Parts: sequence; structure tokens; C-alpha cells
Amino acid sequence: MADQFYLENIDEFVTDQNKIVTYKWLSYTLGVHVNQAKQMLYDYVERKRKENSGAQLHVTYLVSGSLLQNGHSCHKVAVVREDELEAVKSKLAVTASIHVYSIQKAMLKDSGPLFNTDYDILKSNLQNCSKFSAIQCAAAVPRAPAESLSSRKFDQSDLPASSETQASELTTNGHGPPASKQVSQQPKGIMGMLVSKAATKPQETNKETKPEAKEITNASSAGGKAPGKANTMSNFFGKAAMNKLKVNLDSEQPVKEEKLVEQPPVSVTEPKLAAPTGLKKSSKKAEPVKTQQKEKKGGKRVELSDDEAKETENMKKKRRRIKLPESDSSEDEVFPDSPETYEAESPSPPPPVFSPPDPLPKELPPIKSSSGESKRKRRRVLKSKTFVDEEGCIVTEKVYESESCTDSEEELKMKTSSVHRPPATAVKKEPREERKGPKKGTAALGRANRQVSITGFFQKK
Amino acid sequence: MTTLTRQDLNFGQVVADVLCEFLEVAVHLILYVREVYPVGIFQKRKKYNVPVQIFTDDIIKAQRNSVICPRPHSPLMSNDSAETSAYMSCHPELNQYIQDTLHCVKPLLEKNDVEKVVVVILDKEHRPVEKFVFEITQPPLLSISSDSLLSHVEQLLRAFILKISVCDAVLDHNPPGCTFTVLVHTREAATRNMEKIQVIKDFPWILADEQDVHMHDPRLIPLKTMTSDILKMQLYVEERAHKSS
Repeated sequence: MADQFYLENIDEFVTDQNKIVTYKWLSYTLGVHVNQAKQMLYDYVERKRKENSGAQLHVTYLVSGSLLQNGHSCHKVAVVREDELEAVKSKLAVTASIHVYSIQKAMLKDSGPLFNTDYDILKSNLQNCSKFSAIQCAAAVPRAPAESLSSRKFDQSDLPASSETQASELTTNGHGPPASKQVSQQPKGIMGMLVSKAATKPQETNKETKPEAKEITNASSAGGKAPGKANTMSNFFGKAAMNKLKVNLDSEQPVKEEKLVEQPPVSVTEPKLAAPTGLKKSSKKAEPVKTQQKEKKGGKRVELSDDEAKETENMKKKRRRIKLPESDSSEDEVFPDSPETYEAESPSPPPPVFSPPDPLPKELPPIKSSSGESKRKRRRVLKSKTFVDEEGCIVTEKVYESESCTDSEEELKMKTSSVHRPPATAVKKEPREERKGPKKGTAALGRANRQVSITGFFQKK
Repeated sequence: MTTLTRQDLNFGQVVADVLCEFLEVAVHLILYVREVYPVGIFQKRKKYNVPVQIFTDDIIKAQRNSVICPRPHSPLMSNDSAETSAYMSCHPELNQYIQDTLHCVKPLLEKNDVEKVVVVILDKEHRPVEKFVFEITQPPLLSISSDSLLSHVEQLLRAFILKISVCDAVLDHNPPGCTFTVLVHTREAATRNMEKIQVIKDFPWILADEQDVHMHDPRLIPLKTMTSDILKMQLYVEERAHKSS
């Protein structure tokens, strides 16, 4: 039933929306098996060509087969434009498979947008990325984070060794020997590249069909690290004998990567090596940030206890339970004193700006949950306590005391403090508001609730 | 929801940084896709988890007009851990030009003085052939409601990059020998601040000529719109109806 409309769907995507429709993207979008998606694309192309309608279509194909180069036989997988298809096909000794890779209206100058297209849809379907895939592996199951961390270290040390053995086996396409050097020297760089290039591997081999001059320029240019690496990877995984890779695959630790399952076998090792890195990349960045913040909190906690040594045991116990928001507020106390260090952080953001989205949310949920609990049951309130001290003087002291309360205003303010904000600035700022919030909250509680929000507004400066 | 005012300059800086990074990549990509410079000088770099094209080391004369080239703090060129790959130029003069331009735009972005940033492609007679217009709106009260704000923004910017890559399909070919310039449309008071910035950065800006700004008989092609908590941006192309004349 749904099949009947696929032609119209594809037509809409390609012609109206000017999208790049890859078979992978189509399979996720329409919820069909990849083979069916390939067939659909082929069908669409055939029909459109027959109709001879005005709209020009550009089609890319995935070609794979065995190739004889310098006496070595290797398996080649390439994404080629239509005009290069025949040329590439003729080079192959045995053509194992050809199918439509993508359809788009625009002539693509390079393979980047193809990867781009698949990236987002794959990311949003990460949990079931092999659902429509022709490649399945029962052993590929999600792994516990602790396991994957340790295996990542293992893989990193493993990579130079395996890459060297692989590189020696590589047949030429002019990039073999330098590629191997690059591979062994920069395993981390490659790991990083592998993460993002996992899906571009087939497309990277497309570079061969492009003018070689460009590749040589790229490889030799000073800034040619990146394309050099890309070529390295394409050589590494595209050219190397698949069998050898498969053997390595079996011998390496099982990886928490469903993603790799749906890639062609050649690229299996690649995401496998990459996946722990990729997945852990964000968490690795998370960890330094986390530890930093934890250290900060530890430091501030010490300060707190020094400053408010007169607090009762009761307070301390309660403090432990809600220590995360409290330490946030203490960080926040520091904030006005050191605005400059604060601002110095923000210019450094661009890499951290994009990496902390993961770390901070990981951290904030605990805050959220603890404050979520506390906001229902009790609340820290600044109260004046009058008592007689040892000298017989009457002393009035303002202390924070927990008070059970279900003030919605309070909850709101607590909520705001737990919402994620990109830089550390955010985390510091919100606790300040939260801390002042309770103060004003109690004061205004007696009055109408509306006034609380007005004072809240002034607080925010 | 937390609301911030424009007073919260730190957050404004973040937005400005994000925008400048994006604009740098976008400008390079536009130059690559529209073949303003030979494709050989472009090199794949990473940005937002996808490939983009950047100029490489080659000798090219960069036209210096009344455009602002920003220099974002982000080490875009050398940052291998940035994800997406982009085609960026490796030509030092051109890169410097673009970076200086955006560097001067950044203070304007921080204060939300920028209405739009336009990348204009001019033909040999210095008449605009195509204009890539980035209309930028920053909400005065930035409300942050989502944990994954930046990854969401990243995703949206990635979509922009993708759209620029395929804009070939909807645009006619440009005549040979084109050059480019960047125009910034600011809100009223901004130009006073610009003078201060110019002196500091030694990169002069001038008011754009009418001929650079005005395009005869333009055709409007919308490319992409994005809305997020911190930023609203729209990209469209104004194209001259008859390009080679």
C-alpha cells in the first residue's frame, strides 16, 4: 500500500525539496529495507528518464568489485557519479554489485553532502540503525559504559599495530606508503576521523575517480592532513583485503556499536574502532568537565563548612542530601568576585561549547533529581534564629534551614537552576538566582504570589 | 525557563562565536560551490560532523572590498576534533581576509546589531550577480529551555551547510571571473562602534556603494530557515535574472 506512493515521495524529495536522497536516508524515511530502497530509487530513475521530463537528475552509484592492481587483487567499493560509472566498471575485474546510491537535482562536486545527508538521519535512529539493514550481527549488542571505556583504551593501543600490518598489505593507489606512516603516527587523529567518516568511507574512495591532480595536491599540501587522513582511511578500509579485516574483526573485542552492523563489512572495523572513541569522545570531554566541576564543588564545600561553622548537625546532614544545588550556589558566591576568570572561559568556548552539551546534561540530571525531591519535601529558607550563647548574650543569627514547603514559585526557581545552559557561566548564574530565590521567596510568601515574580525580576540582574 | 537579557554578554559572546564560526564555514562553502575560486584550492576540513570545503594553499588574489572579515576565536582550521568536514580554503590571504571580516562582525553580533550578513558575488563589472543573504535575528530575551541546545543548533547549522552544498540545482551558473564581497547590514547605531573597532583591528570598513547593494531585477530563492532558542536565521539567495550580459 505504502509502496504505491514511493515514487511520488521520491519525486517530492528530489524535485520539490531539492534534497539529496540516498538509499539509506530513504530506507529510514519510508521505513523500508535498504534493498527495497535501492530498488525504489532505481525504479524512479528509470521512469524519470523515460519520461524525458525537464528536471535533470544526477545519480550516484555504489560500485563494488575486485580489482587487480600491481599484481595484487583487492576489493574496491566506490561511490561514483553516473558519468564515471562505466569507467570504473571497466576497471574492475569482477563487478560484485552496482546499485543506486543517491539521487539529487544538483551535480555534486564532492561526497561531503552525501555523508551529510546520512549523518542526521542515522543519528536520530541510532538505537535501531540496523533495523532496515542488510548486514546483521547478533553479537553486536550495546555494551556497558565501563566496559567500553576500558576497551577504548585497548583499541587505541591496538590500532597502530593493526594499522601497520594492514598498511603493509595495502596495494597502491599512490597513497599506500605515506598513508601507513600517517596512520601509525596519528592514531588518535584517525580515531577521530573514523568517527565522522564511518559512513563516508565508501564515498572517500570516490576520490580516485576524480582528477588525481587534486588528490596529489591535497596529499602534499601543508594542510593536507585531513584529506591525507581521509585517503588513508579510504585506502585502509577500501583497498585492504576484506578477508584480512574480517579476521581482525573477529579477534578484536566486541564493540558497543550497532551502527557498524549496518555498514558494509569493509567498514565494520572502522566504526568498531571509532565507535568507542566516538561515543566516548563526548563522555571523555564530559569527564574532565565533570571532574573539574566536582573539584570545584569539593573546594567550595570546604569553604562553606569553614564559613558557617556554627551550623547545627541537622543542617549538615540535610546539606549532604541536597549538596549538589548547594555547592552550585557556593560556586555562585565566588562568581561575583572573579568575573574576569569567568570571561576568560568564554572565549575558549568554541570547542567546549559544542562538546559540553553532553557533559553538562549528564551532570544536571542528578541536580535536577535531587532538587526535584527536595522541592517537594522541603526547602532551604533563610531564617533568623535567636538564642543565648555561651557568654549569656542573646544572639540572632540568620541561617539556612530546611522547611517543608510546596511553594510553586520556589519550584519554578529550582527548576530554572537545573536547566542546562551551554557554558559554565550558565551553571554559575542560575544557582545565584536560585540562592536569592529562596530568600525572596520566603519574604514574599506572606504577600501575594505575584509580587514574588517582580522581585525575582530584579534579582536577575 | 531561564531568561537572559542582552546584558548577559557572556552568552551573547557564545552566540556570536557560534555564528562567526558558522559564517566562516558558510562563506568558504559558498565560494567553493559557486566556483568563485578554482576548486583545487579547497580542502576538506571538519565542522559540525560533516565535510565542508576550505581554501588550500595556492596563490589567489583576494579582492578586498568594503567587507568585514571576521576572525573567530575558534581555531577552525586547526581543530581536528571538530566534527563535520567542510571545504575550506588554504590560501592564507583569503582566509585572513575572511577571518578579519568576521572578526569585526563579531562585536556587532554580540550586541545584536546585525540585521543581515550578505555574501555578494560580483561579476567582472562589479555588479552583483548573486547575493547569499543570512538574515540573523537574536531574540532579546534569550530563553534556554533545552539541555541539548547546542547540539540542536549544530544540527540546524549542519542543515544550512547541506543546503548550500546543493544550491547549485536552483541557481544558474555564474559568469567567469567573479569576485566576492561581504556586506553587513547593521541596525542604526552600530556604525559608530564600527569605527572604534576598525582602528583597533586595522581593517577598514567602508559604507557599501549603492551598486554593490542594489541588484537589478532580482529573483528570490529561499534556501533554509532555522529557529532555535538562541538564534533565528534565514538564508536566501537573490539572483540576478540575467547573469551573463
